[in-house]
Amino acid sequence: MNDALKSFLEGLDGLAQDCESRKGQACSLKELEELRIEFLGRKGKLAKAMTELGALDNADKPAGGKKANEVKQRITELMDQMEAELTAAETGRVLSRFDPTMPGRKPWAGSLHPVTLVMQEITSVLAGLGFEYVAGPEVENDWHNFEALNIPPEHPARDMQDTLYVSDKIVLRTHTSGMQVRSMLKKQPPIAVIAPGKVYRRDSDLTHTPMFHQIEGLLVDRNVSMGDLRGTLTVFVRQIFGAGTNVRFRPSFFPFTEPSAEVDISCVMCGGKGHQKDGSPCRVCKGTGWVEILGCGMVDPNVFKCVGYDPEQYTGFAFGLGIERVAMLKYGIGDLRMFFENDVRFLEQFA
Amino acid sequence: MLVSLNWLREFVPYEGEVQALGDKLTMLGLELDGIVDPFAPVKDVVVGRVVECEEHPESDHLHVCTVDVGGPETLGIVCGAPNVAKGQTVPVAMVGTTMPDGLVIKKAKLRGVKSCGMICSERELGFSEDHEGIWVLGDDLKVGDKLVDALGLERVVFDFDITPNRADCLSILGFARETALAFDLPLTLPRLNLVESGGDVNEQITIRIDDPELCPLYNARIIRDVTTKKGPDWMRFKLLALGQRPISNIVDCTNYIMFELGQPLHSFDYDRIAGKTIRVAPASDGMKFTTLDGTERTLTGADLLIWDGDKPVGLAGVMGGLNSEMSAEARNVLLEAAVFRPGTIRKTARRLALPSDASYRFERGVDQVMNRFCIDRAAQLMSETSGGKVVAGVASNEPRPWKDRVHGYRHDRCMRLLGLDLEKDFAKRVFEGEGCAVDDTNPDNWSVSSPSHRLDLEREVDLYEEVGRVYGLDRIPAVLPKVAKALEGGVADSEYGFIRSIKLWGAGVGLNEAINYSFVGDEDLDRLQLPFDGRVHIANPLSEDQNVMRTHLAPGLLNTLKYNMAHGNGHIRVFEVAKRFFADAESETETRERLGLGILLYGPRHAADWPWGAADVDYLDIKGHVEHLVRNHLKLSEPEFELAKDHAFLEPCVEVRIDGALAGLVGKVKAEMADFYHARKDVWLAELDLDVLKGLSEAHAIRFAPLPVFPPSRRDVTVIGPATLTAGAIRKVIEGAGVDILESVELVAEYVPEGKQEERNLSFRLTYRSATKTLKDKQVDKEHQRVLEALQAKLPVHF
Ligand SMILES: [Zn+2]
Repeated sequence: MNDALKSFLEGLDGLAQDCESRKGQACSLKELEELRIEFLGRKGKLAKAMTELGALDNADKPAGGKKANEVKQRITELMDQMEAELTAAETGRVLSRFDPTMPGRKPWAGSLHPVTLVMQEITSVLAGLGFEYVAGPEVENDWHNFEALNIPPEHPARDMQDTLYVSDKIVLRTHTSGMQVRSMLKKQPPIAVIAPGKVYRRDSDLTHTPMFHQIEGLLVDRNVSMGDLRGTLTVFVRQIFGAGTNVRFRPSFFPFTEPSAEVDISCVMCGGKGHQKDGSPCRVCKGTGWVEILGCGMVDPNVFKCVGYDPEQYTGFAFGLGIERVAMLKYGIGDLRMFFENDVRFLEQFA
Repeated sequence: MLVSLNWLREFVPYEGEVQALGDKLTMLGLELDGIVDPFAPVKDVVVGRVVECEEHPESDHLHVCTVDVGGPETLGIVCGAPNVAKGQTVPVAMVGTTMPDGLVIKKAKLRGVKSCGMICSERELGFSEDHEGIWVLGDDLKVGDKLVDALGLERVVFDFDITPNRADCLSILGFARETALAFDLPLTLPRLNLVESGGDVNEQITIRIDDPELCPLYNARIIRDVTTKKGPDWMRFKLLALGQRPISNIVDCTNYIMFELGQPLHSFDYDRIAGKTIRVAPASDGMKFTTLDGTERTLTGADLLIWDGDKPVGLAGVMGGLNSEMSAEARNVLLEAAVFRPGTIRKTARRLALPSDASYRFERGVDQVMNRFCIDRAAQLMSETSGGKVVAGVASNEPRPWKDRVHGYRHDRCMRLLGLDLEKDFAKRVFEGEGCAVDDTNPDNWSVSSPSHRLDLEREVDLYEEVGRVYGLDRIPAVLPKVAKALEGGVADSEYGFIRSIKLWGAGVGLNEAINYSFVGDEDLDRLQLPFDGRVHIANPLSEDQNVMRTHLAPGLLNTLKYNMAHGNGHIRVFEVAKRFFADAESETETRERLGLGILLYGPRHAADWPWGAADVDYLDIKGHVEHLVRNHLKLSEPEFELAKDHAFLEPCVEVRIDGALAGLVGKVKAEMADFYHARKDVWLAELDLDVLKGLSEAHAIRFAPLPVFPPSRRDVTVIGPATLTAGAIRKVIEGAGVDILESVELVAEYVPEGKQEERNLSFRLTYRSATKTLKDKQVDKEHQRVLEALQAKLPVHF
């Protein structure tokens, strides 16, 4: 090997060693870039060394070229390695300052009123069964609210509801049942409607507010039976209170249905046992295991006559239930008045 | 309705569990409300005997008694009653006993003498008003027994809720019938043992009835030479068990029959009845009449009166007259048992606010056929308890004799309605068990006549109910109906759907849904200076702060604010969807109802200062909500916001218009009004008319616009103008400059130069784009220049 080649090769080796020895020198990507230019730049150390390649004998050129490539590759590797280390260190530094426990930038949490939530749940179950929504006036005339529902002026059944009057013949509707009349006057059977809304009574104490919400349901067709009524109510009661809920029909009286029934459900608090785990009587059902939840029955023929349906041809069922009562049972709300105080701490719980 | 178990057992031999009876009757439609022990307040009182009775050494009216109460030792009791004497059997409240008035008996020293208990009077034990002295009991009572046991007092009284149709169950007899039906037991009526003592009642009284409709039957008897006194114990105790205060033997007898058999009776002092005549006839308008409670009442022609030969003596079915009342000295009783038209009695009782046990029963209907038995049994009891003699015969006028009501009964149809499949025999057993006569000659359509006590069995369908009730409505198998639908049915976008979508939007943008009462007080509306005209008032409000229907949602939402302020909640962001009510003579309900959406924002814009920075809500927040609802949620046209002057309670008040239609208002509640609601910061309100929004959104259909293909070009312009010039006005000119390629205009910055409060700089970013080609800078500059020229031409601005 001639001297020129030897010195060229040694020069290249020195360059590689030089670079290796300065591995720890670059503390930042910027310093690393400077180092890269120093060795690999257009006017860097490697480039300078390469100018000597041309001076070699032609026979030595392949060996010199090979070595030069090896050294370039080695230096490039070193540079990449340093860059990877520096980048990792930098990422670590940034991550060490990242605090995942800082409170998030939350949008406001809105909420629906519990009455709305329960109403939606019930209407969606009934809509699924094919019932259609209808709406009507909250200030109602006596005829729709009472007379057409088989409650003439002197009937003792008027005592069942204390009425708020606007005038002799105009009342705040005491139930959503007036919507039965309005719906039936509008079209011939078959008819399957639900009417949710506000109703009013002249009553205010721990268990009554002068305004509350009801949902009325009405199905009229040929051959509608009390079994259909029972099935419909069972489906929606189970949907709302759980699959294990039982339904009980007790005979009762409403002027616009015959037969009429009150519907109890097995108590959601004690599971219908009537007592708590410790054996003391359940407060929600007063130890009976049953909680009254709605009134229902088969549409009275007199109501059909009022709206011009033939009671010999058609039968139907109707039911009405109080939303607040359901909401109280479902959410465990003890005080009825909270529904209308609108304390935002109450409302926010239904977000 | 209170039902005493022992009294019930006089009619029907029920020996089962107490609770089981209540449960069974509940499932028959007579809902048990509770079971009470009517004499629980005296349950610890015992029977004692006064074995020694001496004068108190230090007092001229006290006695020192030694009382045997059955224990190993006698008790020393100091007693102040004048009638106490050695050998008497008396009720004793021992130390530790709680008296009905809540007083607990303790050891005491009365003028130096120890007293270990109390000898009680009837009044102290709640048995009568008698407090002349201690209650001297019969000597046959066993010393040491509990008083309630010794006297055989009722310990079980059921409280049932009776629905208005079940008039027949307003008596012990009615419950006995149901119990007999429920448990298949025999029913026994009390045996009549009436002794008549000659004479002829028809010579002593004549009954006249003007209108048979109002009074189908009037029976009367006369009992002579009665002595009015305290009723017998057995009767008094039974009345007490039902919560009825005993009054005198005569009154107690009529009450007894009413509770037992359901027929209200009235006793007149026969000697104060003029002309030996009773006449049933209406009052006249404006007539005055003094009832036996001493109150003078003004009557109307709709009230029914009982007259004697020359004056009214009773308000039929409601209350007797003072002028014919049985006084303690009265000797002769005219006993009335009548049937009156229910609606008439109800009207009078309600108008005069005179509800009574009697009117309650007349209103619901009494058993006309049973009437004769009732008056006979009452006369018997009255004679037995007063020593009076019953004049022979009944003075009776029955212009409308009871007619059996016969209804068809189609078993198949009944089964279809109930969803049951029962044997015909079952239905027959039910009807016959209830006292109906069944004629099943036609097997498909029976004739069933209902008994006179079941006034509620008026139609065939009522018979269906009986079959269902007795079989058990709870045993009907549940099936799901097939809901048949007409083709044209099915409303996709109902009002309910719209309301629901609005509510979901509200909750989605971080508002809490509130529900306020639909009524407020006039004062609430007055406070907001809302007009009085057009308000819908409640004629019989519960209170003055609930006497008028809301014409705006604001009063309710402001009450919500007030409540929350009082409870320390300083961030209020609520919405409400509810009706507003306006008087409208054209409407069949005299009212026009408009659906509204109210939004109230108050307090900090964000839940916490960090990381948002602390700032309170302002106009842009409330406006932003409205814009978001209208544009982003309902996809309607850009709403326009125009300052409105002189609004009642908002200042500033801004009208919201969409496609020219007034859709509502936004603004700030006037400070002096907000103060009332304890607001310490600005209160921002929006009230929108959802009927308008719904109409607009129904007319609106979403159309897809092709996505732009060519790039946009943007130019910013800062418009320097007076501070009074609105951003909307500038935007309108920009948009109205007639530049086709102008795609959108955004406000990007607002700046008020320091020291130049009257000036404002608004920077807009204008985006230009062509649908058909890439725009050249030159062309955009040219068009942009046109916009600037338009601005300068139309507005006092520069750039
Ligand atoms: Zn329970």
